[in-house]
Formats: sequence, structure tokens, C-alpha cells
Amino acid sequence: MKALTANTLREGEVVFWNKGAWKLRFGEAELFEDDAVAEAAALAAVNPTQIVEPYLIDVEAAEDGFAPVAFRERVRALGPQNHPQHGKQAEGGHDIEVIQHAHGVARSAGRHNLIKLKK
Amino acid sequence: MYRYDAIDRAFVQDRTAEFAGQVVRRLAGEITEDQFKPLRLMNGLYLQLHAYMLRVSVPYGTLSSVQLKKLAHIARTYDKGYGHFTTRQNIQFHWIKLADTPAILGELAMVEMHALQTSGNCIRNITSDPRAGATAEEIDDPRVWSELIRQWSAIHPEFSFLPRKFKIAVTAAPQDRTAAKLHDIGLLLRRARDGSLGFEVIAGGGMGRTPYVGPTIREFLPAHHLLSYLEAILRVYNRHGRRDNIYKARIKILVAQLGAEEFARQVEAEWEAMDRPSVDAPDTELARIRGFFNPPGFAVLPPKSEVFEGAKADPAFARFVRNNVHAHKQPGYAIVDISLKAPGETPGDATADQMDAIADLAERFSLDEIRVTHEQNLVLPHVRLDDVPAVFATLKAIGLSTPNINLVSDIIACPGLDYCALANARAIPVAQDIATRFADPERAELIGELKIKISGCINACGHHHVGHIGILGVDKKGEEFYQFTLGGSAAEDAEVGKILGPGLPANRVGDAVETLVDVYLRERKDGERFLDTYRRTGLTPFKEAVYAEAH
Ligand code: SF4
Repeated sequence: MKALTANTLREGEVVFWNKGAWKLRFGEAELFEDDAVAEAAALAAVNPTQIVEPYLIDVEAAEDGFAPVAFRERVRALGPQNHPQHGKQAEGGHDIEVIQHAHGVARSAGRHNLIKLKK
Repeated sequence: MYRYDAIDRAFVQDRTAEFAGQVVRRLAGEITEDQFKPLRLMNGLYLQLHAYMLRVSVPYGTLSSVQLKKLAHIARTYDKGYGHFTTRQNIQFHWIKLADTPAILGELAMVEMHALQTSGNCIRNITSDPRAGATAEEIDDPRVWSELIRQWSAIHPEFSFLPRKFKIAVTAAPQDRTAAKLHDIGLLLRRARDGSLGFEVIAGGGMGRTPYVGPTIREFLPAHHLLSYLEAILRVYNRHGRRDNIYKARIKILVAQLGAEEFARQVEAEWEAMDRPSVDAPDTELARIRGFFNPPGFAVLPPKSEVFEGAKADPAFARFVRNNVHAHKQPGYAIVDISLKAPGETPGDATADQMDAIADLAERFSLDEIRVTHEQNLVLPHVRLDDVPAVFATLKAIGLSTPNINLVSDIIACPGLDYCALANARAIPVAQDIATRFADPERAELIGELKIKISGCINACGHHHVGHIGILGVDKKGEEFYQFTLGGSAAEDAEVGKILGPGLPANRVGDAVETLVDVYLRERKDGERFLDTYRRTGLTPFKEAVYAEAH
């Protein structure tokens, strides 16, 4: 399963795609069963004045919900661990708790083709 | 401190205005992200996991009270009320909005600060000794030379598009607090027999994917030739640096491939052929810069303070003095280190309120100066011994009196996977866990000097290669794993640590550090630091203990 994510241009805020609109919470993300459909959505979603760096992430079923597979994407969907009052996690809610407890989900690098080198 | 002149001021204001225009055009869609990204990076603005990050330059780690108050104001107004001091002696704000950035840069310009050259393939902020101008150990004030290099390298047209980023350190004391040998160029001030000043020049050090302790390419460069010699080094690098391969583009690779001798030969040839007087700073300019770093009106005081000695009756104060207070060149004064490593807190973070309080302390008690260390702590460089108890009391009230400088809980950690878009693994929670385990100050003091450094990926912003214990986050089939190195040092005896063994999962890291410390305490002989014991015994006893437990 896949979801489409990006950061907003103006604020840099993490957002998730759902049927034509960018949503603030992972729990509101549209989940694509079909990779081809996901890729088509990613192409359609490009909006250069609204978001930057859109990409698809892997999502898996977790206990009582869904969670991003990659640890990195969970951090994006939650916020930094050292400041629980910062980021999306501050608001709490079921979707946040699912990700926080999603230890059983296998991790894998969710973002491919990323050159990991400092600028 | 250095003060901007009309040229500096106009230049920073121009750049701020220019970037403000670029932001407007980007938001309006007139320029694409591909066009805009290099422009924002040139102004210190990165996109990270949760938001934009603005990296503000703190020139050679020196701040005035007014500047620190401005940073507090920015943290409070435009961020979430805190800032993160880095191993580059800079400060980063992690929750910045693009649309706010021009206003922030405008605020910085008001206090003679900016975010230029904190990113990109240019000459970055100069690293220098946080005790400059305060320690009796130094043979000259390294800030004079750092400022000279800053002016020369600021938007130097020839060196704005180097093969890769370029970092220079300047130090003048035998104890190296700048990690000079791990910089692209390290400059160690020396005095010749005839009393003249010069530099031992080190080139090709660095961390990252391929760590090197830089070799000396010239034993003694007369000080007034500094700029022409730097220019010669950069020209050789600019010409031959591997622009074709980002992993091989740093000067350390060039120096290693050519060999230090051949590299030095090419630099000397370039330097000989150069019109040196047109590059070297005239004596009048050097004298002008030096004037900004004259001793800041020290009072004539007795070398001993009864107030100070009397306050040591409080064991907490006595412990703080043992670890955080250092000798000053001026009788009756002391250098006071402020640890940003309270166990359980994020290494290098300071809240806006803490920054304001420290700025007030500096204004009242430290001749208006604050320094940032590459170990992510702050320093009040000029405190009267009489005032140290009052400074301690205030630091205690704001949660910053942790007496752990250079001890096991004084951990360097990069932002790691909690913030950084390049990370493989978290670094901050690992540091928090280790520091909490060693939170007992008595135990930490018994263990003695022990530098733990943690990076969330191979880019090594957390200096793990040169930690006595280095911890590197790696991605092992998508899981966070941590690779340990032992025996590194960033000091004058610089060394790259050796890999202990296979990486450990996150939940084994804290125990492994405790095991390493236990082995050290078991093996150590009189007066040995962790590093000394390791150097005597080698990896084996440490390795055996850690991996015996793993099975
Ligand atoms: S070492 Fe890696 S994870 Fe840490 S701040 Fe640098 S680039 Fe990011």
C-alpha cells in the first residue's frame, strides 16, 4: 500500500494527499492499493506553488489501523521524539497512537533514489 | 568583538533584500523549486523532515548579549521557543516557515548577523577556540585571524562554487578546542624563535564517509602571508578537486590521493607564482581588525577571591567549579562553561528564556560576551571570580548548571532522524538515554573525561569518528542500528576511532556504553582517562565485554 506525501512550500509542513487535497494528518491520507494508481496521483498532485518534493511512501496495516513502513516516515507523521509537544503528535488522536504503537511493522527505507549526502 | 563597518552592513542588507525578493517570486510561482533551492541554501535555509531549518552563522563562535537576545527573540517569535547549537559553533532553528525567512534575516542583520555561507560549496563559518582572548595558553588571539579569513572568504567570487564545502579552523593554544586537524584547513598559530608569528598549516582533514586526520603541509607560514597561502591551497583544490564524484570531492580526498608532499609542492608552486601583495592583507588592515579584539577593559583584581573560595563550601558549587570553571589569563577572572547537556535534555538545545537569561548574565558578568563551543555548549569567557557564585545561582535557576563539561554525559549529538532529512537513525534519544544513565554527578566525575559523540548518519555532524566513544546510526535493512568506534580524538592528539564490531540495535546501545565504561574502570591505571586506557589496552577487552553480553 502507498500514500503520497510532501511538504508545503510556505511552511514546510508535512502533508498527505487525499483525492485532490493536501491533508495535515497521516490518518487522513488516501491509501493506494495499486502502485500504478499511486504513481498517477503523484504526477497529478504536483503543484509548484503549494508543495515541494512530493513522493510516495510505503504503508502497512498496523494494529487497529495503518502506519508508514519506514521509520523516517513515522517520524514525519508524528514529530520529533525529543519534543512530544511538537509536530503532529501534539494533537494526539487514534491515527497518531496507531503509528506510535506500530513497532511490529517491518521497517524498510521508504524513500528510494534519495542521495543521502549533505548539501 | 568585531563590529560591522559600512561595507559589511550594506552587503548583508543587500543580500537580505535580494533573498526577500527571491522568496516572493518563489511563492508566486515565478521561479521553480529547482531554481530556488540553491538560492535558499545559499541563505542557510534547508527543508528538513517537519519544516524548514535556518542555520545562522555565529562567526568563530562569538556572540554579544544583544545578538544572543536576538536569537532568543527569533526562537520565540518564529520557531517553537528554542534553538539548537551545532558542532559548527552555529545555531539552527528547526521550525521555520519560508514566508517568515526574509523577516528573520532582516532581524539578524540588525544585530550584524546572517545565515550566509552556512550551506553550499563555499567557505563556511570559521571555527575557533571558544576561550580566545581569555586563556593564558594562547600565543595570539585566533579571532583576529578568523575575522580576517571571514572577510576574505565572504562571497569570494573565485571560491563560491568549490567542488564541495570548505571548513577552516584557527587555534592558538596547545590544547586544541577546535578539532583543527579534522578541518579542510587547520591553522595552528606558532611563534618562531625570533618572536615572529606564523601558522602551522594542516590540510585535508575531515570526517564524513572517509575520515582523515589532516597532515601538516607547511610547518611555519609567516602570518602576514596567510591569505595568499590560503588562496593558493584553494586554487589547487578548485582546479583538481573531484567535481565528478560527490563522494570524492572534498579536499581530503585530493590530499590523500596526491600525498601530502605532492599536494604541498603544488600549493607552494601556485603560491610562488602568485602576486602575493595583492592578496595578503596590508598591516594597516590587520591592525584595524586587531583593534576590535583588544582586551575588553579588565579590572585589576587580586588573583584570589574570598567570595569564590568561600562559596566552595557548597559541594554543588565546588563540583561546578571543578568541571565548568577554567583559568583566565587575567588575575581575578575565570572562564565559565555552560553545559547544554543536562541529562535527559537535547544536547545543544537552549530555550528562548535560557538564551535571554544567559545574555543577561553575559551583560552583567562577562563583559558582554558569550561563546559557542563545537561541543555544543556555551561559554561566559570573562567572569570575575567574585561573580562566579552569582552566575552559578542563576544558571541553577534556569536548569543550566550541570557540572559535566568533558564528562560522560557531555555528549555531542546531531539532530539525527528526529529532524534531519538525511538521517539513518535517531541520535538525540540515544544521547538522552546515555546521559540519563550517567546522571549521577559523582559517578560521572569518578569516570572522568570521556567524550561520547553521536551522528545519525555517515555525514558525521555529530563527530562520531573522533569520539572517545563514537556512535554512528546506520540503516540495516531499514532498522536503526548503531556502529561503535573507540579511541577517536578531536584534540591535539587527533585520531579517528576504530570500529568495535558489528552494529547494535537501538535497545542495546545504552547497555553497551555502560559495559565499555565498566571495562575502563576495571582496566584503568592511575590517572588514566578512558582514552589513555583504550590506547594502552587496545580494542580487545572492550570488544570482548560488549559482544560477550550480546550473545
Ligand atoms: S550526521 Fe547525518 S543525520 Fe546527523 S545532522 Fe548530519 S546529515 Fe543529519
